[in-house]
Amino acid sequence: MHEMSLAMDMTRIIGEALGRKAPLERVNITIGPLSGISAESLRFCFTEIARMEGFGEPELVINHTEARLLCLECRTEYEVADFYQGCPECGSISRRILSGREFTVDSVEIDEDSE
Amino acid sequence: MCEETSAKQKVEISESVMSKNDRFAAENRKILRGRGLYTLNLISSPGAGKTTVLESMARYFGGRMAVIEGDIQTRRDAERIERAGCQAWQIETGGACHLDAHAVNHALGHMDLDSDELSLLAIENVGNLICPSGYDLGEDMRIGLLSVPEGDDKVLKYPSLFSTVDVLIINKMDLIPHLDFDVDRAIEECRSLNPDVNVFTVSARTGEGMEEFCGFVESGFLRNTG
Repeated sequence: MHEMSLAMDMTRIIGEALGRKAPLERVNITIGPLSGISAESLRFCFTEIARMEGFGEPELVINHTEARLLCLECRTEYEVADFYQGCPECGSISRRILSGREFTVDSVEIDEDSE
Repeated sequence: MCEETSAKQKVEISESVMSKNDRFAAENRKILRGRGLYTLNLISSPGAGKTTVLESMARYFGGRMAVIEGDIQTRRDAERIERAGCQAWQIETGGACHLDAHAVNHALGHMDLDSDELSLLAIENVGNLICPSGYDLGEDMRIGLLSVPEGDDKVLKYPSLFSTVDVLIINKMDLIPHLDFDVDRAIEECRSLNPDVNVFTVSARTGEGMEEFCGFVESGFLRNTG
């Protein structure tokens, strides 16, 4: 359950970026399949923390990316969210991970009228 | 939701949520390298044998190794390491399921790291295969420890950890005759996430394979100190 501390890091980052606390309408984040984060648990924690920290009740919009892999047998690049899937060309699971660890706060949307 | 009337403002942030941890990790790395310390981050599920592996390492390295123990509660593990002959600092996280670089930074401030003999710092993370995986502590070598009673299917179930380890230790090999654990499968699946991983099969309890592993760690810090 490290999602609670991650939710607190998210509100800290948002507060620092805005330079103030404001009720937010939407928070856009990106999570990769190798980030080790449970999206539903994060959503639950963030909803609570955002409200407690003075950011209202924003909708948390999660952009789930897939991991990008390079097949070491046939050099095909492919994307998966599930690591049981092998290369779509040759079936091999011999591969190098190129990306998939992302966990970023991308942007926030504020409705100035609601402040 | 449907009122698109006025002043909606979108603010771009694009910041990694781990950025604060990563800054502390970079500072730890600077402190540790400055003192000529080679650092290990040992991660496994609870009960896989991290502390027993470290006790075995303490007997091999003696005063050349210091240990940071991460646990939810108690100094029990630090006391085991001290009895085995090494300096140990216990971090009690009080509930947190992982160590972060800030907690390690704080521990470094309390430890006596000035001994000329000291060349290795081993950090035992909180027993957990998920949460510690995203937290760089400033280590030189990340070690994933899997014990054979846990089952040979664990690697692909926890890709966020096993894709980042430099070393996979398969522990409790003395129990293999009683279990259906397929060692080759676990290794193949770990290589599928991480083709460069170094694998050691050991029994920390009997000592099997430990000298080979300790020799590998030693070659790491000897290379480091030139």
